[in-house]
Amino acid sequence: MEFSKQDKYLIVVGIIFCIALAVLSPYIASGDPDGLEKSAEDSAVSEDVETTVVESPFPDYTYEPLDKLGEIGVLILGGIITLVLALGIGYALKKSN
Amino acid sequence: MHIPDGFIPLAQCAIYYVIMIIALYFSGKWARKNLDEKRIPLLAVLAAGIFAIMSMNMPIPFGTSGHMVGGALVAIVFMAPEAAVLVFTAVLLIQALFFGDGGITALGANVFNMAIVGGFVGLYSFKGLRGIIGNYPSAFIAAWLATLIAAVVAAIEMFIAGTFPLNVGIASMALYHAFIGIIEGVLTVIVLYALEKFRPDLLAWNRE
Repeated sequence: MEFSKQDKYLIVVGIIFCIALAVLSPYIASGDPDGLEKSAEDSAVSEDVETTVVESPFPDYTYEPLDKLGEIGVLILGGIITLVLALGIGYALKKSN
Repeated sequence: MHIPDGFIPLAQCAIYYVIMIIALYFSGKWARKNLDEKRIPLLAVLAAGIFAIMSMNMPIPFGTSGHMVGGALVAIVFMAPEAAVLVFTAVLLIQALFFGDGGITALGANVFNMAIVGGFVGLYSFKGLRGIIGNYPSAFIAAWLATLIAAVVAAIEMFIAGTFPLNVGIASMALYHAFIGIIEGVLTVIVLYALEKFRPDLLAWNRE
């Protein structure tokens, strides 16, 4: 895969954007329930309805031993994994010449 | 609006998985025909950006919060809901597996709501409106509608699953997501404007 200069720029801007959000969100993101969770409360859905099928390594985007730094770290890690996976999907499925 | 495990019975989850697999088949066909190499970095950056923006829950009224989803954005950028299906399958799979955000059994339902419903509603309302009110106002309304309708669809799924009562579920989901949709609309317009300014070559609306 050969990226043009413009594409490298786009990827760098994307990574900077992700890192900025990852660094900020543990401090400024709202901890209130999201729309679906709040609707579940409104509907009197009991808390034990929600289950966990796969034990995720970083539940709720946290890595407890490192506290806030852990949250920032796993968000950056997640962004990079997503970037690489999506690049992989793109190259696997791209238009055949 | 990530649905966790346990909210939908497994038999119903299977139906949403079948819908997701069919959508992936058509999205793969779309990519082989339309995804040229120069737009792959954009696809990947959008996926990573959507992953990141979903961590940024913003407060809305009623003690609730919400974040941008991005289904309408991806569909409008590529002028194809298929692109949203590819991006969201990747993002939601990683969120479910590594971060426990959205259940792995609910993956099909989450892809259905955010990418298929969000992508189609977003793209086709955009296409219907842009000739009348222009690109950016259309993108705002399309993204707002995509959020609202995806939320109502999720509420109906929750009713079919026996988890939410129909009226309370739809009223709550619609009310909160009418506010979350404003965030969605504003950010969708900002990203489209930035792409138009710096990389107009990547926007599919400049080719049609």
